[in-house]
Amino acid sequence: MRIEAKAALFGTAAALVLLGVTFGLSPFLQPSIAAASKQRSTNIASAAASPALEGEAKRGRSLFDRNCAHCHGDDARGDEGPNLHDLTKTDARITRIVKEGIKGEMPRFGAKLNDADVEALIAYLRTLKS
Amino acid sequence: MHGGTTHFPIALVMASALFDLASFLVPENSARTRRAGFQAAGFCTIVLGALGAFGAVGSGLVMSRGQLLGSGDLARHHLFLWPAFAMLIGLATWRLIVQNRGSARGFKIYLAGSMLTAALMAAAGYWGGELLLNG
Repeated sequence: MRIEAKAALFGTAAALVLLGVTFGLSPFLQPSIAAASKQRSTNIASAAASPALEGEAKRGRSLFDRNCAHCHGDDARGDEGPNLHDLTKTDARITRIVKEGIKGEMPRFGAKLNDADVEALIAYLRTLKS
Repeated sequence: MHGGTTHFPIALVMASALFDLASFLVPENSARTRRAGFQAAGFCTIVLGALGAFGAVGSGLVMSRGQLLGSGDLARHHLFLWPAFAMLIGLATWRLIVQNRGSARGFKIYLAGSMLTAALMAAAGYWGGELLLNG
């Protein structure tokens, strides 16, 4: 077999092995798989019981999924960022936090989300009740 | 930490693709040492880039708490990152084994793969930047 073909086989094998090792190790970095799994089943049950989102809140949910879920959790019950259910902050305060961020804690979204987007996001957040 | 470590493999892979492209474009009858020099630079940078990728991937996994995909911009970042990481490891392994013993055709395929990897890493870096700096 030519050296290039051998090298291609070794290269493919090395890539697959390292991806496998990386993917295999990643669960050990997750805070608590069991707790997350339990939380997920609880969330599915509560999501089924909540009414369907409409209008602005529906668009806000979509914006949340794309911009916020990776820190606040898919269900907004907190992960790296805090739980966003039952927020008591005013709309103006939430708008300022979303647009300007919190130094060292949360990135600013002012360049990415316009006023209408933030309003839709807030409309979704207001639907989140424990 | 991820923001710092991740720039090494991105820069090195792009530099490697450019060095190899330069070695490919140098005229056949020009000084052989110049072509060899570009190829040596391409070799060193792809190997260093692959080594640097371990630090970048490791710190990224710690930062995202082991999330392999996630959602939103994080998912977009990962959709480009994992193919780029696999290709980078594969290309660096190929290059380490073949070194200067490859054919012109083999090098052309490698060069195409190297440029694709650089593009994938640039896209992963773009979405990573969007995630961390621009919301």
